Parts: sequence; C-alpha cells; structure tokens
Amino acid sequence: MADVFLEVRRVSKAYEGVQALNEVSLSIGAGEVHCLVGENGSGKSTLIKCIGGVVTPDSGQIVINGRVHEHLQAIDAIREGIQIIYQDLSLYPNVTVAENISLNQFVERRASFVNWAEVRAIAARGLAEIEEDIDLDSLVQNLSVAKRQVVAITRSLTQGAKLIIMDEPTSAITRQDVDHLFSVIARLKQKGISTLFISHKLSEVFEIAEVVTILRDGKAVGDFPASELDDQKLTFLMTGRNIQYTPYRFPREKQQQAPLLEVRNLSRRGHFHNVSFSLWAGEILGLTGLIGSGRTELALALFGLNPPDSGEILLGGKPVRIRSSEDAVRLGIGYLPEDRLTQGLFISQSIGDNIVITVLKKLLGFLRLLDPGRMRKTEEGWLDDLKIKAPSVRVRAWSLSGGNQQRVVLAKWLATKPKVFILDGPTIGIDVASKSNIHEIIRALAEQGIAIVVISDEIPEILHSCNRVLVMREGRLEKEVPDAAAVGEAEMLSLVSGKLEHGVARS
Amino acid sequence: MRTRMSPAVTAGLLRRNEFYLLLVIVVFSLAITIVNPAFLTVENMFDLIRSSAGMAILAVGFFVVLLSGGIDISFPAVAIVAQYITVNAIIALGVDNLWLAFAISSAIGIAFGAVNAFFISFFKVPTFIVTLGTMNIFHGAMLEFVGTKAINAGQLPNCFKGFGLADILSLHRADGSTYGLSVFFLVLVGVILVTWVILKYTVLGRVIYAMGGNMEAVKRSGFNIRRTQFFIYCYVGLLASIMGIIHVSLIRYSNATYIIDSELLHVIAAVILGGASILGGSGTLTGTLLGVVMISILEKNLVLLGLSSYWQQFFVGLMIVLGVSITHIQKRIQNRRSLALTRE
Amino acid sequence: MNTKLSNNLTLFCIFIVVTGIMSVFLPTQFMTLRNFTSMGLQFPEYGLLALANMLAMITGGIDLSVVSIASLSGVISASFLSQYATLGMPVGTVIVVGILIALAVSLLCGLLNGVIIAYARVPAIIATLGTQGLFLGISIIITKGHGIGGFPPAFLFIGNGSVLGMPTQFVIFVVVALLVGLMLTRTPQGFSMLMYGSSPQVARFSGINNEMILIKTYVLTGLLSGVASLVIISGVNSIRPGYGADYLLLSILIAILGGTDPVGGFGTVLGLTLAIFIMQALQSGLNILSFSPFMKKFIWGLLLLLVMVFHYYRRLYAQRRTVRRSAAQKEALTGQSV
Repeated sequence: MADVFLEVRRVSKAYEGVQALNEVSLSIGAGEVHCLVGENGSGKSTLIKCIGGVVTPDSGQIVINGRVHEHLQAIDAIREGIQIIYQDLSLYPNVTVAENISLNQFVERRASFVNWAEVRAIAARGLAEIEEDIDLDSLVQNLSVAKRQVVAITRSLTQGAKLIIMDEPTSAITRQDVDHLFSVIARLKQKGISTLFISHKLSEVFEIAEVVTILRDGKAVGDFPASELDDQKLTFLMTGRNIQYTPYRFPREKQQQAPLLEVRNLSRRGHFHNVSFSLWAGEILGLTGLIGSGRTELALALFGLNPPDSGEILLGGKPVRIRSSEDAVRLGIGYLPEDRLTQGLFISQSIGDNIVITVLKKLLGFLRLLDPGRMRKTEEGWLDDLKIKAPSVRVRAWSLSGGNQQRVVLAKWLATKPKVFILDGPTIGIDVASKSNIHEIIRALAEQGIAIVVISDEIPEILHSCNRVLVMREGRLEKEVPDAAAVGEAEMLSLVSGKLEHGVARS
Repeated sequence: MRTRMSPAVTAGLLRRNEFYLLLVIVVFSLAITIVNPAFLTVENMFDLIRSSAGMAILAVGFFVVLLSGGIDISFPAVAIVAQYITVNAIIALGVDNLWLAFAISSAIGIAFGAVNAFFISFFKVPTFIVTLGTMNIFHGAMLEFVGTKAINAGQLPNCFKGFGLADILSLHRADGSTYGLSVFFLVLVGVILVTWVILKYTVLGRVIYAMGGNMEAVKRSGFNIRRTQFFIYCYVGLLASIMGIIHVSLIRYSNATYIIDSELLHVIAAVILGGASILGGSGTLTGTLLGVVMISILEKNLVLLGLSSYWQQFFVGLMIVLGVSITHIQKRIQNRRSLALTRE
Repeated sequence: MNTKLSNNLTLFCIFIVVTGIMSVFLPTQFMTLRNFTSMGLQFPEYGLLALANMLAMITGGIDLSVVSIASLSGVISASFLSQYATLGMPVGTVIVVGILIALAVSLLCGLLNGVIIAYARVPAIIATLGTQGLFLGISIIITKGHGIGGFPPAFLFIGNGSVLGMPTQFVIFVVVALLVGLMLTRTPQGFSMLMYGSSPQVARFSGINNEMILIKTYVLTGLLSGVASLVIISGVNSIRPGYGADYLLLSILIAILGGTDPVGGFGTVLGLTLAIFIMQALQSGLNILSFSPFMKKFIWGLLLLLVMVFHYYRRLYAQRRTVRRSAAQKEALTGQSV
C-alpha cells in the first residue's frame, strides 16, 4: 500500500444553499480496500460522483496517479481507471452476460462493428481473472443479484479499472453473497486493484475494509485504519455523539393474555418457510436478519402483498386471509415500507393528500362525498401531532427532509388506527435527531396498546427499542430472543451473521 | 437471429415462441388448403410474397422502434406522403427513373423520421404522442399543400408500373402464361439482411437493444442516445418510404387521402404476434416475419373460413389483444417466483 | 394546488386571447349568437371523448378505443332505434331502451378494456389499440359498412332540441362534466385514481385496490363514449361506423392542453373544459376562414407537439427555480440523481 493511487484534496461542492461537501480530503492506495461511511446526507454520493468525474467540484483537486485534475470529466476518470458501479448495477437485463461485460469497450473505442468472438473472449478473460465462472450466454435478467454484481465488477475490470467504486453493494444480497463479494474484492486486491466501498453496515465495514473514511455533514472526519476502530467509536465519529438508549420493557404478565396476532407455519416457496410466532398488543417485536433472510417477505405476507402458500394467520384468535393490502388495512394492519420514496410516498403530491389516502372512507360527509373540512382537520392534526416541519399541508412531499417525509408516512398509517403496525427500516436515511424522535413515537404507540413489529439492520436500534427479537436466516426463524435487554450487542451480532471471522484473509 | 430466453431454458426448440407461431401457421395453411387446394401452390405463394412484401418491410421498421422501447405510429403516413409526393414529382420532372423515385422518397422518409427524432430526443416527449402529432402534421400538410388528386394507372409513370411487374423468377402455367416471383422479394430480403446485420453486428444495433432493456444504464455509459434515436426513426422513415414505392407499384394507384390505417394495425399485430415485447428490448426478426406471414394469410383467407371481409378489422384487433395478453400472462407466471413488489 | 391554479389561469388567458383574436379578425361572423350556438352544438361530441381520455391519462394510461366504443354502441343502439315503427312498443319505451342499450354496450366495452389492462397487465396503449380494432370491427360486421338511420323523432331531441334555451347536448355535457369533476375531487374513487396515477406502486402499498381503480377508470371512459355516441347519433339521425375518427386526436390533444399529465396523477375538469373552449373557438375560426379539414389536421398535430414542448420548458424552469435544494437533499439521501 505504499503507492497512493487516488488523492482527493480539499474538494467542496454546494448545491444552491446546501453544502454537500466541505473541503473533503482522502487518499486511497493502490490495491487498498477502502470504505466510505457516513449517515445518509453526509455527502458520500456526491463524493464518489466527484471522484468519477460525473460531478464537477466547486473547488479542490482530484489527483489520480500523481496527475492533478482540476476539472475532471467522466471520460478522463474512466481512462485513468476509475469505474463506478451504482447500486442498480447499470446492467442490461435483456442481453447476455458476455455482452454486458464487453459492450462498453466497443463503445469506448468508437467501434462501429461488433466482433462476437472478441466479445466472448474479453468476457471469458475477465471472468477468469477473478476466478469466477458464469455462463456467458445467460441473459442477465435470469441471474441472481450476486451473479449480477460479479458481471458488473467484471465489466469494470475489463475496462482497465484500477479503482472500482461500489455504491452500497451489500444492501440487497444474502450473507453468502456478501462473503462471495468480499472474496472477489480480495482477488481484486491481489491484482493491485483498489476498491472504494460505500456502506452503512458497520459489521461489514470491519470485515473487509483496511481503511475507513468517515464523512459527517459533508466534512471528512478522517481516514482511519480499520484496526483502530470499533463499533462504538465508529458510531460516535459518524454521528457526533454517543447515542444512549434505554431499553423498552414489556411486562411479562401481559404475555399471559391471548396474543393479538398469531402466525402458524407460514410458508411461501423461495421466500420463507415454516415461520411461527405470536405478537402481543403493546409489544415492540424486533425482526432482524440479513437481507435475504426473508424478513421483508414475511412482513409483506402479513400486509397482503406477498400471500403465503400455506400456514395460518390469526388475528384476535380468528383465522384471517390477507390477500391484498386492502384486506390488510381493513383488518387493521399497517406497514411502513422500506423505501419511503418509491413505496411510501406519492412524492409529487401534497403532504395532506399523502396523509389521507388511507382513510378516505372515514372522511365522508354530505352525500357520501369527501368533506374538505374534515380532511383538512385530519391533515393538519397529524402535522401537529407528529411535528412535521412544513409550511402547510399543501406542500409537495419531495420538498421535505428525510425525517419529515418519514413522519408523513407514519401519519398516513397512524390515521388508520392500526392494531398491528409493521415498520420496515423506519430510521434508514434519517438524521440523528429525527431517529430518536421516531423511536419515541414508536414507544408511545406501543404504550397505547398497538402491537408493533420493527424490522431493522441496526443491532443497537433493535436491542434498545424492542423488548423481544426474532432472528431470521435464509427464510427460517432461527432464534427468538425473549428479552432484548438481557442480550449484548456482540452476541446479537453473532446471532444475526452466523459467523465472526474477518474478511480479507478469507478467500 | 437471437433468442430472447437463456440457452438453459431454450433447451429445446419447444420453448421458443417462434416455433409455436410456425406451428400455428402450418396448421392454418393446411386447414385452408383443404378448403381451397389452390392455396398451397407456388403461384399462390409468389402472390402472397408480392402483396405482403410491403407490410413486411414496415413491420421490420416498427420492430426496430419497438426494440428501443418506443412506438411509432406515423410510419403509414410517412409511406403514403413519400409515395404521393414522389409520384407527383416524377410526373412533374418528366424523368421516368425508378432510382430517382427511390432517391426522392428516401429523402422524404428520412426527413420525416428526423422530425420525429427531434421531438423525442430534444424535448423528451413520449414517442407515441410525438408520432401521433407528426402523423397528422405530415399527412395534413401534404394534402393541403400538394393536393389530393389521385393518380391512376393511366397517369402513373412507367418506372413504377415496370417495377410492379418485374419478376426475378418466371414460371409457366399450363396455358403458356407466366407468373413469377416479384422483385419486391429482393428488396425485402435486402432490408432484412441490412437490418439483421445492423442489429446483430453493429454497436448501434446493440445499443438499440440496450435502450429497450435499461435506458438509465445506457445514459450512464456514455452512449450517444440522441444519435441512436435519430438513426432509429430515420430508419423507420426510410423503410416506410420504400414501402410507399412498392405499394404504388403494386396497386398502380396513388390515393393521397388513403391513410393506411388498417396497415398500421396489421403491422403492429404482426410484430406483436412475432413475440416482440411492447416494452422493448426483446424480439426477433424471425418472429416478426412469421407474424407478417400469419397476418397476411389471415387477411387473404378469412373468406375461406366462412367469414366476410367485414371481419378483418375485428380479427386484427383480436390478434393484437390476444397476442399481447398471452405474452404478458406468460411473463407473470415466470415472475410469480419473485417478490410481489416487482409487479407494478 | 398552485400549479393547478396557474395552469387553469393560463388556459383562461389563452381562451380570452383566442376569442379576442377571432373577434377582431372576424367581427361579423364570430361574435354572433348563431356562431356560439353552433359551437355549443359541436363540442359536446368530442368534449365527452376528451373527458374520457382525461380520466384514462390521469391513471397513467390512454384510451385509443373511445371513438370505436362510440361507434359500436351507436351502431347497436341505432339498429334498435331505427326499428321503432315495427317494434310494437310505445315510442317512449323504445327511446329509453335505446339509450340504455348504448350505455350498456359502452360499459361492457370499457369493462373489457379494464380487465385486459388490470389483469393481463397489458399497457393501456396497446390494449386499447387492439380493442379499438375489435370494437370497430364488430360495428362493421353488424352494419356491413353501411349507415343506419331513421330514429324516432322524439329521440332527436337529444341532438337537436334545447333545454332552458341551450342546446340539449350542451346541457348534457355540462352535467356530465360536473359529475366527473365532482367524482375526481370529492369521492374516494376519484382521489384514489389521481394517486394511483402518481405512482401505482405506492398506491399498492397504501391499501388501494389497483385493479379496481383501473377497471372503474376504463368502465367510465367507456360510459362517456357511450354518452357521446347518443349525442352523435341523435345529432345527425344516423350513424356510420368510423364516424369521428378524427376525434381521437382531438380528445388526446384537448386532454393534454387542459393540463392532464399523460404520465398520470394530474388533471382537472376545469382545465379540460377551458381547453375545449379554446379548441372549439379555434375550430370555429378555422371553419369560418374556410380552412380545409387537411389544414385542421395539420394544425392539431402541430398544436399537440407545441403543447408538449411548452410543458417541457415549463417543467425545466420550475425545476430550476424551486427544486435545486430538495434535489440536492434527495440526491444526498438516496444516492441517485433526481
């Protein structure tokens, strides 16, 4: 790691009023596995776009291989060997693996004709270099996410990448695939190719990274060798404070009464298998496990969007069929989705419209028409109750900050007065202050008697806001932790991930 | 010709849509031959080729647009406008030359295609709306500024008539008269070959597939999308103009007010039956051509099935609806395994 | 709300301008009662179809079969009505039944559209492209290409009579438009339609029954086409399959001009009505100036493109003006370009 491949010198970038990056500096050595962490809104995305030449910084320099660039263009960055793999992988699903890997090269060369033999040769060579084997003729749309990642990485490789930047590569793949990815990164390292890896999953950061750059509010807190960091220190550096949680206590006696929701032997092929658990009113049940473990699939089964093949669901002791979200809402089940921008909010509509969409039938007045007065009262009521910061209910949803947007989605569900409320990743991408505020709201709801399920990746969040935790792995309910307060973070982590080995040395 | 399913799945010919379509065509042909033995003769086949070559060329053009994820409904208008203007121009210039005719009509077709591409790429207007607008602009403008007088066989310049009668292969009937394989076939083969080469062997062609698959990714990769879109719509325009010349040479009549409306539906039905996806990114030339064969046979032989010609419109509509529904339902069955989220 | 208001204000201004220009250049012919009455007679036919396409576009789709549905329901109803002398029923009953037939047929057509779009998941543009052939085809089969005429004189009241001094069709249009507007703004159905058009996925996650929304949308567009067919056949006392083929372009143009976003989620009846008035004024003016139908085709096509270009620039400036900050926030949050 003696040679520095990339140096970012005091780069700043502002977007009309928002300072996305403020004199950020970092350096990445050749063959280094470097991780970029920071809360959402910290500037990670903007930084990689500057490095990739997609966005031009207002000031500062990007130095690649000793060459200083004042106004780096995307084409220059590519020529210097910088490749960005976006979260969606930018692959063409309707076309073969070989073509996905090689086509860009032909475009770069400004070639007119495609030589298929060469296409295959390039692809085969690329895959061989990282010791991967995928059928060259498969259509990408038929591949698993993990294999698609390999295709994307191979594509970058064949374009002469010296630094591959990956934007949240582990957010949608199973644990096994994460291991696989890390072994590919290890092979890249052996070839002297650096990797810059954006993640917000602290456990993975420690597994694979050699150096960690922490961003907070657009400023670089620093570059740290991974060995010098631990969970707490990292969290502190990322958020600027030590979060203290007080665990949620749920009186044991309440469990003597009948549970509000019972799930018995629920299965859906390929998603989850033989899951059974109970949920009491007033509980906050944590549901965790790595992505791919089936937790969101299970939650959606309770919400009607992913109906099970077999098994029973009982609400208040009576078996129910939930075959659509309409059924779920009618039965009093609410679901706060993982992705509030594409699943939770009508982003181009007003906040008010977003809030009342779930309870229209309750706001009828004269002649069974919608009563604007009642609608406005409801909308403004929630704005107040949840302290949503917005000038009026007529403002469009896209103009709100993440935390406020999440509150709007909360309002929309709370308006339905749910009996069971499932929250999937409720605090992802939200600033720290709003995070704890949302936890308070959740606690208040539980105290009112709503049965709550919180799905989360963040162990601290799980341990300190839930009284009981279910851990899933590969579609099965692996373990139940009856008392969250009694378990430590390390133990929880090992339960969730299954193993505790560290990344790079493993191949 | 590429398939749209992975080889692992394409283990047998049985999995390919094109195979089923071929099967249906064969069954259909046999059924028709039973009613009318004159169907399965070489002469009839030649006749079929002569009369459907034009539609086939249009279908190839529409297929290319569909692959890129767009829809172009202005091509029949382009065909008729290019045809009418060219015929009038040839008459006015007094130069009875087929190559000149092709030159003029191609220029018109490409120009109109460029107009479409302009609005689609510079103003991000949805392709359907652009072509709905330009269809009316082209046709309305021509009718208004060039005129509406139909040109009949008597006035039609000889180059067209000759083109329509030219055969590349002549055979004799029992009574000594001849019939032949029209030179249109040659034009069609040429168009197919060129399109095939472009789609399979040029970077441009592969970008067209890519656009239909993931437009966002294409933008990120630095492909010149604008140039590709200009190519696509000019190419359709060119093909439409070629069809226009073929059409007037075939029926020896140029009627400016005839907007080949039914032709539009036939072409779309043919391409869809051939298995191309409306959302773009998949489909084959083979399938498209088979679709054209299917529609042509249906068109000509509905009567033999006891249905009057009034049923044509109905049948074409039915083909489209069935064709698309079946493809979509197939996809849904495939998708059942994945999360419901992907449904919308 | 802000955009809706500014949209409609713009349209109103355009309407005043167009009418103003027409009055100035054609003082004796345009600003006459006769002209206005004649305008009032013409626009309901395509105005109803424009309402239909507005609804389809609000849910992110389009209905290319509106004219064909009108054709089919008109033909079937006309077949019945033209037999009025020989049916042995009192004329009043014949008329009522005739009207019900038209509405029933159009409802069924719309239902077919809805089912194909909602359950077979076929994109609306292709589904309705296919069904329009289907419906037109059936009407051709029934009539063998000929026209049908000769309805009970009382029936013609719809197309030719007047209520409170205004042409019946005009009144019908006003009533229907008001009902549609009411539905859109004040019923859970209409509200859900608008939201669905904004994002079908979010609607799914909000407990909305997406399939029902689509089916109801296309049943409504069918019904509106059915009402249009009644207006048409009573107007000229006959029907011919394929009548009104130009109306399709017009209905789409008016919907878009009226502020309906073809992508879905936005549209107002007020805007649509203003757009209708603008188009009708334009049509009248062009007619008075003896513009040929070809010229009109040309102009409508051109207008469609110009409106879309205008929307493009407006969106561009709106984005530049207010969105930068939130775009930056969104970008920072999601890591994706807005």
